[in-house]
Amino acid sequence: MTRYRKAITYVPLKQWLTIEMAALSIQSLLWWLLVSRLAGYSALVGGLIFVIPNAYFAHRAYRYQGARQMSLAVSNIFRAESIKLALTAVFFAAVFTLMEPVHVPALLFTFAVMVVVGNVLRWLIRPRPQR
Amino acid sequence: MEMVFIAAALIIGLGALGAGIGFGLLGGKLLESTARQPEMGNQLQTKAFIMAGLLDAVPMIGVGIAMYLIFVVAG
Repeated sequence: MTRYRKAITYVPLKQWLTIEMAALSIQSLLWWLLVSRLAGYSALVGGLIFVIPNAYFAHRAYRYQGARQMSLAVSNIFRAESIKLALTAVFFAAVFTLMEPVHVPALLFTFAVMVVVGNVLRWLIRPRPQR
Repeated sequence: MEMVFIAAALIIGLGALGAGIGFGLLGGKLLESTARQPEMGNQLQTKAFIMAGLLDAVPMIGVGIAMYLIFVVAG
């Protein structure tokens, strides 16, 4: 019988967050310098609308690990995903109702760019198992 | 004005439908493949996590556009 050593997967959450925040700062700075101060502020808010729910999802998705707890892990991923979408909707609703004025193109464009950046980042810097 | 709300509802609803089908398939395949090869569980979970991120990109952008339609265009 083959024995397998147990490995705990380390999620590089801090690394992801640091790179995402750096990308977000550069984008909002560019919007500020090229368009206006309001655009830079809106871009920062748009990026944060993506970063906060996504960090929660990444944190929650790895609460359970291993083959014995895979059904728990899958249900946890489903729950984290629905909370992430709900949080995104709530944040957008809050920004559009409470924040006045808002530069909508900067907000939505930065949000879309951060979605792509986040996914590329998770592809490039993967969670890795540590023995 | 009603058309804007219908459009927002369609964007959110169809996005949620697509994400639901995708996550259902992803979770089912993850459980199935872990049952076949339990020693690959952690690697498969990592791959499923990355795919989950790719899967929800379009619904998330859809939610943003729908909220814009509801609160700015119609509001």
